[in-house]
Parts: sequence; structure tokens; C-alpha cells
Amino acid sequence: MVKKKEVFLFVVLLMLGGLMIYIYDYIKEAKIEMFDKIEKDKINQVVDIYNNIKRTTVKDENISTESDMFKFLSKKQNRISQEKKIATLLSPSIKYIYILIRDKRGRFRYLIDASKIDKANYYQKFDVDSPKYNLVYETKKPQIIRHKDGVENLCLTYLYPLTINGKVVAILTFDITNYLKKDIESLIKPLENFFIILMVFIVLLILMTVIQVIHYFVTRKKIFTDPLTKLFNRNYLQEIMPMLNLEHYSIAMLDLDRFKSVNDTYGHKAGDYVLSKSSEIFKHSIRETDILIRYGGEEFLLFIYNRDNADISMEICERIRKNISENLYTFDNSDINMSVSIGIHKKPYLEKNLTEAIKKADKMLYVAKSEGRNRVIAFEENIKEEEEKSYDINFVKEAILDDRVMCYYQPIYDFANSKIIKYEALVRIKDTNGDIIYPMSFLPNLKHTNIHYKLTQRILSLIFDKFKNNDKSVSINLSFLDLINKDIVDTIRDTLGDNIAFAKRITFEILESDEIENIELFKNKIKFLHDLGSKISVDDFGSGYSNFRTVLDIEADYLKIDGSLIKNIDKNDKDYKVVESIIHFAKVSNMSTIAEFVHSKDVYDKLKTLELDYMQGYYIAKPLAKIATEDDLFKD
Amino acid sequence: MKIIILLLIAIMSFASDTVHFQSKILEKIFTNISTSKELKIWSDDKKILNELKKDKILHTVDKMCDASLVIIKNKKNLSKECKPNFIFVLKYNLLNEIPKSFGAMFWKKGRPNIVIIEPRIDSQHITVSKDLEPYLEERVW
Repeated sequence: MVKKKEVFLFVVLLMLGGLMIYIYDYIKEAKIEMFDKIEKDKINQVVDIYNNIKRTTVKDENISTESDMFKFLSKKQNRISQEKKIATLLSPSIKYIYILIRDKRGRFRYLIDASKIDKANYYQKFDVDSPKYNLVYETKKPQIIRHKDGVENLCLTYLYPLTINGKVVAILTFDITNYLKKDIESLIKPLENFFIILMVFIVLLILMTVIQVIHYFVTRKKIFTDPLTKLFNRNYLQEIMPMLNLEHYSIAMLDLDRFKSVNDTYGHKAGDYVLSKSSEIFKHSIRETDILIRYGGEEFLLFIYNRDNADISMEICERIRKNISENLYTFDNSDINMSVSIGIHKKPYLEKNLTEAIKKADKMLYVAKSEGRNRVIAFEENIKEEEEKSYDINFVKEAILDDRVMCYYQPIYDFANSKIIKYEALVRIKDTNGDIIYPMSFLPNLKHTNIHYKLTQRILSLIFDKFKNNDKSVSINLSFLDLINKDIVDTIRDTLGDNIAFAKRITFEILESDEIENIELFKNKIKFLHDLGSKISVDDFGSGYSNFRTVLDIEADYLKIDGSLIKNIDKNDKDYKVVESIIHFAKVSNMSTIAEFVHSKDVYDKLKTLELDYMQGYYIAKPLAKIATEDDLFKD
Repeated sequence: MKIIILLLIAIMSFASDTVHFQSKILEKIFTNISTSKELKIWSDDKKILNELKKDKILHTVDKMCDASLVIIKNKKNLSKECKPNFIFVLKYNLLNEIPKSFGAMFWKKGRPNIVIIEPRIDSQHITVSKDLEPYLEERVW
């Protein structure tokens, strides 16, 4: 949008310009009115005086007919005396004054010429240049002839009919100069010039404002458009933020799953291609009324217009998810599968501001990612605000201080031998009311914070304490960022460094993470864990892409197949084939395979048909605070 | 009536170039009269003479004695040695002062006027076209 400042300036200038034009026009009008009034006064004055002269002459000389008049004026002496009387009317404004008559041939002739200069002879012919002379005779009414660019500074000739017994016998003619007009104009001119300069100045300012506005619109596209995806960028979000009515929109955060690996595996050009292609799919999946913004990297923000249909947001996001996952990206003869995770906030207007609403949608995105990616998760509006607020960094900090951080343990099941081989430790926090809070509610806020590392340390110590003195095995989730944290590495080394028997019962599940920027460092850290005697499991393996080389390089002991491939395996043949391939890859690479997200009997039975090693999921056992035994399995 | 229209145009545009339009009127007058002799025109008003020289119809000469028609603004410039056939004047009073002059074109109160004295054109065997008839006068007033 055009800045309010420019619009205000434009309106003020326009009003000022209008005012100046009004004043200028008013001065012009006033000037014309003034000239008209002066002319009228002058004419009336001359006519009045002349009528006095005429009355006196008519009375004194006893003139009652036209022939009396001609008889009287045929004498040179009488003409001279009349000329003298009429000459008193001459002034700088009245340059010539004379009486004309029309002869029998229709030619006009001087009867009396009272002019001081350029005097005509008695009865000399006067070539008329206007039909108005004859009009005086016909209408018996005065006529005005206006001279444009008047000769000898004449601006007006006034023709006044002289009548005897109701008949026009002659025309009193006087030529008015423009001297007075010029004097007045010269006085007013500076004022007019002032307003003209002022108007030119205002017009220039208006022009500059208009140019600025045009320039704004020309550059607007560049400023607000992301050159790669041709979508709006964050500048546009900043621009529309104050005008956006959140009551009419749902907010969705979209993130391309495992995008970093596309860049790492196929190169940045492939990454750009995927981004650009995905953006096209996004655009085709939404409506004109929706607003799509590239929020950063592979993250997109979508405003879904929901005024007409409150439930449309889920439908649109599902459409986007489906279109992305069904599309096959082909770059340099390589086929790349992509998926997108989406977090929705259907009622962003309930939040304090847009930033808070985006945070909520982002949180849901995190949930979608942690639940196996390639899914749409909507924010539940019925979650109390107070609860939401309590899941921030301080909530976790207080939980650590109050010793309310705890671990739940989910069995990993060897279905072939009907035995639990180990447990996956999963963090929980007990809030002050005694309710159990799941990690998806507090982990997103901790990313890259010191509290995250403190929490990881607390989890490690909880697990180590729990399993140190029994013979059970346990899997611990660690991210690459955890592995490069000195305190965490020290804790692991201090606990496992001199206890190889315990270290052997520990499996570190390394989360595939976009933060792995330094592969060599990553490999070194994995080697450190191997050297301690611990095992390595690659978490969430196989969804969207597979960095096989890295998996082989780190010599992982387990591949945990991503839940998104498992959860529908009983219905989806493609997923089945992919899982089958992963299992084959794992076998030839001496890795054991674990399927997570085993949530139903159908899935369980289907998986049993594969050469899978272990299974994990709610169907077998939910995560529990206690360490479950085989007797606790398959209960729900 | 063409000449009258031209005259009006001339009046309206007078301020822009008096000499130019005065010459135009003269050109119209001389193209609307016919004489027994070919008209070779000379004028004591150099500006008018120069303007008339630009005209493709009229024949102008540089010496008064070579001219058959002279246009006089000042009576003193009328040489006694040269005997032009026809005299045209640029002031009304010169019509009285130079009895041989047959017509005048002059400015009176900022307006152009043409006067052609009928008895004089008759005696000099000059005929005028219908366009010039409104300017014919029986005498000089």
C-alpha cells in the first residue's frame, strides 16, 4: 500500500492547488468585473454629460427636427462651439469623441469631430469595420465594439444613438483606450504572478508526489516479490500486517520436508528447482483470495480467506499436501519425492497479534513434523490460553528446577521372539497441576536455547539413573545440536566412559535434522558414541529422501523407519514397497530395522510379512512412566 | 466584396504589422483598377515600397521618374521634373494639396480608410472594379 504520508501530502497539495486556482480565478474574475464597472461608469458619465450638452444646445438653438440640426451644424462656427463643448469629455481614457451620420448612400460621415488629435474633416467619409454602426440606426440602442489587440491602444468603441422625435439622426461615438486597464493590470500583475508561481510550485510538488507514487508501484513488485518463487516475501507481510483483518483468515505454516537433504544430495540448483516447482503447486492449490508468502528458506506462510467458509482451511491445506506428495520432481534425470508438513491456526484473531498467531501455526507445524511429516495439524482452539502460555521457556526452566521433568518409556518389540528388546525414552513434563505435558507443546520453543541443552542433560541423567542398575536397554533421542554441545558430550563421557557394559545397553537415536551442516563433524561425534560402546539408530529413516551414504558412513546399528511410511502400510502398496526396499538395504548393510507408528493390528500384521526386525507403536504399547514387561503388551 | 473582407482582416491584425497590411491593401486597390498605361509603382515610403517589391503581380521601380504611379506620403518628395501618370496618396489632406492625386489610403483614428475621387479617375481614364465602388467619393471634404 502507498504510505499514508504520501497520500496525506498528495491530498494537502491537491487542496492547496485547488485553493490557489480558486484565488487566482477570483482575482481574474474580480479584475474583469472591475474593468466592466469602470467602463460602465465611464460610459455613463460621458453619455450623461453629453446629454446635458445636447439638451442645452437643443433648447438654446430651438432645434426640433433633423433638418434644424443639420442647418445648425452646417455653420462652421456652430460646429466649432459644439466641438469645444464635447471636447471637455476627452481624457486619457476617452481618446476620440465624434458624431457620425449615415448619408443617403448608407456611408458614414463625420458631422462633428471633437478629437484633439487625428481630427477628421467635416463630412469626411468614415469606413466602418462593424455592422454595429448600422445596428444603432435599426435598434435605436447603444452598441459596443470591443477591439482585440486594439490599434492605438483602443479597447472599446461606444456607439450612442442621437435621436430627434424618436428617430436616430446620428451616432455619438467615443473610443476608449486601455491605459487605465493597463495601469490596473500592471498593479495586479505581481499578485497574479505570485499565484502563478505558487501554482507552478504546487503542480511540481504534486508531480513529484505522483512520480513517487508511480515509482512506488513500479518498485513495489520487486520489493515484495521473492525472485525465485515469484511469491510475496516477508516485506509484503510487514506491509499488509497492519491492514490484515485476522477474523477473515486462517493461518497456515508450510514447510517442505527434508528440504535441506535435497540441497545436500542434489545440489542447490535442485533445491531451487524444488522450491520453485513447489511454489507453483501451492499457487495452483489455493484461491485468488488467499495470500501466500515465502516466509524464509523452505517455509511458507499462507493466509486462507475463510469469511465465506470457516472450514475451508483444512480442505485447502490437505489439497496442498496431497498435490505436493503426488508430484514427482525430476531434476537432472533424478526423481525427487517431496512432502510438506503444515500447521494451521484456524482462529488467529484470538491471539494477541499476528506474530503470536504465526507462532501457534509454527508450533502446529512442529507437531506435524514430529508426528512423521507429510501431514496437516490444526491448532485446537479449546486449549486454554493460560495453558499455552505456560509451555514457554520459563515453564521448562521451572520444571527442571522443580524436578518435574520425567521420561516415559515405549517398548521396542522383537515380534519374532515376542520379547521387548529395549525401550525408547520419551520426555514428559508434569505441570503444577499434575497433568502430563507432551514434548510437542514445549520443545519447539526451546530450539537453539540453552534450556534445550539443560533439558537434554536432565533427560540423560534421568535415563542413566533409571537404567544404570538394571539389565534393560534404552534408546535416547539426540539431535546433532545436542551432540556438538560440550556439556552434553561431557555428561555422556562421564557416565559411559568407564562403564562399557552400560554403554552397550544404550542406543542413541539420531534425529535426522536440517542442522547437520558439517557432515564430517557429525561423523566424528557418531564415532565418539561408537567408541564408548553404544549403538546408533537413525531416526525417521526413509521418508521423502534417504541419505544412504551418510547412513553407511556412520555405521548405524539400527534404521528406524519413518512413521509416515508405516502408518498406512496396510493400505498403501507404495509405502509397502519403500519399506521393503529399506529393509533390504538395511540387511545388506548389517543394520537392524525398527518400524515405528504401529498403531493397529492391520499394520502390525502387514509388517509381519516383511523381514523386519522390531516394531514400536501404540498397538504394541503406549509410552509409560514405568518400564513395561511383556505382560503389559497388546493391552489396548 | 473580397477587398472589404481583406480590409477587415487587415484591421483586426493591424497591430502585428501595419506596413505589411497597408501594402496588402494597396496591392488590392491597384489590382482592382485599370489604366491606359502599365502600372510601374514607386513610393516615397521606403517600407511600403520594399513590401510592394515582394508582390509578384505589381511592378515596382526604384526611381520616381521611371514610375507611372507614385504613392506619396510627403508632398515634398514629389519631384517636379518627373511627371508620373498617376498619383496615389497616403494622407487624406494630400488629396487637396495634390490635385492630380486620384485616391488615398490612410489611417484615421486607428482605422484604415480608402477614398477614391470619382471625377479625378474619370479624367485620368482610370476605371475601378465593383469592389472599389464603396470607396468612391465625388469630392474631397
